[in-house]
Amino acid sequence: MNPDALIVWATAIATLGVYTILYRENPVSRLFEHIFVGLSAGYLIVATWTLNLQGKWWNPMVHDRKWYWVFAPIVGLLFYFIYSKRYLWLARLVMGLFFGTAAGYFFREFFPLYSPQVYACFKPLRADASIGWADVILHHWIFVIILLTVMSYFFFSVPHEGRFGRALGRSAGLGRWFLMIAFGAMFGNTVMARISLFIGRVQFLLNDWLIPSFQRLGLGG
Amino acid sequence: MRSLFRPAATSAALYWHLAAAIIASIAIIVLLHRLLGPRGRRWLIAMVTLLGGLYLGMEYFLPVRKDMLWPSHIPNPNPARGANLLSPGIEPVGNMLSVIGAFTVGLGIYSLCQVHGRNIIRRRSGWQNSLAFFLSMLAMLVFGMWSYYLPKPKIESPIMPWPKATYEVLFNGLFNPLQAATFSLLAFYIASAAYRAFRIRSAEAALMMAAAFIVMLGQVPVGAWLTSGLPTTGAAGFFRLEALGDWVMSWLNTPAQRGIVFGIAIGGLAMSLRIWLSLERGTFFAEQG
Amino acid sequence: MMASAPQSPWQRLQGIPRYYIYLLLAAVVVWQILFPIRLPITPSAATKGVFAAIESVPDGKLIIISADWDASTQAETGPQTEAIIHACFQHHKRFALMSLGAPMGIKLADDLARRVAEQYDARYGVEWCNWGYKFGYDNVLIAMAKDIPKTIGTDFHGAPVAQLPMMAGVTEISSIGLVIEITGLAGISEYWIGLIQGVYGTPFASAYTAVMAPGYYPFLDSKQMKGMLVGAKGGAEMELLVGRPGLGGAIMAAQSWAHLFIIALIVLGNVGYLLASASERRRR
Repeated sequence: MNPDALIVWATAIATLGVYTILYRENPVSRLFEHIFVGLSAGYLIVATWTLNLQGKWWNPMVHDRKWYWVFAPIVGLLFYFIYSKRYLWLARLVMGLFFGTAAGYFFREFFPLYSPQVYACFKPLRADASIGWADVILHHWIFVIILLTVMSYFFFSVPHEGRFGRALGRSAGLGRWFLMIAFGAMFGNTVMARISLFIGRVQFLLNDWLIPSFQRLGLGG
Repeated sequence: MRSLFRPAATSAALYWHLAAAIIASIAIIVLLHRLLGPRGRRWLIAMVTLLGGLYLGMEYFLPVRKDMLWPSHIPNPNPARGANLLSPGIEPVGNMLSVIGAFTVGLGIYSLCQVHGRNIIRRRSGWQNSLAFFLSMLAMLVFGMWSYYLPKPKIESPIMPWPKATYEVLFNGLFNPLQAATFSLLAFYIASAAYRAFRIRSAEAALMMAAAFIVMLGQVPVGAWLTSGLPTTGAAGFFRLEALGDWVMSWLNTPAQRGIVFGIAIGGLAMSLRIWLSLERGTFFAEQG
Repeated sequence: MMASAPQSPWQRLQGIPRYYIYLLLAAVVVWQILFPIRLPITPSAATKGVFAAIESVPDGKLIIISADWDASTQAETGPQTEAIIHACFQHHKRFALMSLGAPMGIKLADDLARRVAEQYDARYGVEWCNWGYKFGYDNVLIAMAKDIPKTIGTDFHGAPVAQLPMMAGVTEISSIGLVIEITGLAGISEYWIGLIQGVYGTPFASAYTAVMAPGYYPFLDSKQMKGMLVGAKGGAEMELLVGRPGLGGAIMAAQSWAHLFIIALIVLGNVGYLLASASERRRR
């Protein structure tokens, strides 16, 4: 069977059902919310088995006879002792393993991730053959000033007292202003992102559902 | 040691190995539970945490040698890169951890089933929605697995067996659109919230709004159109909205974000060290009774 | 019971019922979808960086497209993915789709790739493949860097990846010429940069939703990323570069007017607020 038409209509009904919440909370939108959560849960199980466990665990253990893979579910199932007060420490044991490995991963990725960021802070502050004074001031000086003032804003362990502290306080104040610019830029991008999502849905409702349906009924051009 | 973990020779041997491993594991867990008191358990958890991080960290920091430090029975995929003593284990350890982590999927599923199951059993208000949750979860599970194990057609076609068609309706007709529609509601909320809450009560708010307007207009074609009369190069070209927006993002936003990134980096490093060394206190790290 | 004081025109200006705002926003978007006013789009340097990165991948190497997105960000990441796949096919670069963080989205990306592959007569397993969703984030990346076929195991359809023709000679990370991360989830790029790009020097490019892009500009500045697509705009710009207008460009038409509408709303609200405050001060 060809499910394309059914998919289009199901999509349209589901989308409009969710949009009813814009008027007010109602049984239709609540029903679709629960259906969404149920489908998510079901898909998560399917994806975990078909895309991960079957290939990396079941096949090596059963078909290649690598019996030691049985330790994976034994250790993994220790997580479920989180529901038991008496055996909770077993869940903490395996969580500790994952916390430790997460820390290990962070140590590994710290220098490759952040040291280039430090290098990139050292921008040329003088004009030369490749860059003029206008560019240096408009770009590099502003960059360095903003970076230093924003970093000084996050130095919470130094009180803003005394000569140095007051200077730091003024720098932090300036940093706050620059942070406002960054937050404004983030807001602008957030608006763009959210609106895009809605436009995508309207695009589907009009171009893939409503207009083709009218055309099939002979009501459109 | 290596011979202990060789694959089983036959299916029967496999089942014996599996049974022995399961029984031995349960025995070890029971023994640990009985023999270790609260201090012993805390010590064991701290040791496991330390070793987990130590192996991964050390494998990265230990010097490598271009000549073969790699055990000869495991081929080094890239001899030019060199290795250290811990390198051969990194891939099997990573794979094992991925598989172990995959078994946690049931935690969330169990919680959901518990909550919705109670709603149905106690006939709480809206129990029908909880029933819809179970039906949709079962439908996706059944048809997802069924569709996966159907024989794959030699040529892809829009005509498909009804279990696969049902799965496509559930996935592409319900699941994805519901997710997309739920997130698209944010467009309305951000429009309404921006109108009601974004007020110029201070100079900082005005600065934030100015930056937002420049970025919002600079990111869309209408912004470029509004200042299309300005030249594309030279001093005047700087004030074209798309150029201004790009300048705000690249030279005002970037250093501010980098300052935030450095804060996150230092904080993350400190937190990772505290967790790795089991110095942290909190819900997870509370005293084990 | 006290009667509420009558609202001044300026207070009413600040209190337009939200239903009108919703309806007007929907009307603006519907108007532009049905009667688009298309204005020219100029690709940014960041977008050109992604295009150039794909172009410069050596012929013998593979591109990894990490499609860590799902239906919640499809309007932005869908056009980005499609345009990037077009670029790969046009430059005859083999690529492998995969996902580290979004099990739901890998099927969407697969459907997309299939549709685009038909336009170039590209064969699955020869010109492109789908490694599927791999759980484990950093575990997967570290293991993959040492041994790709063993770590990936089976592809999206359950077939062993080692048996795919395009995987011949693909052993570890030096077989990869470029990683392109397309995502709406924060945090995954840090794994790729920290564990792959930074350690092995593998070129890295990205495509993000607009909401997370500002936080990743520092990585563009430090040249850890070759380029970056930002939201639907980045998708539209990439469509322009590959010469395949699609959903990204269609979204930008409506996006322009929606932005103007929201700016007008904010200005309206603030005009009402300022005039109401001035009127209140005069009354006192």
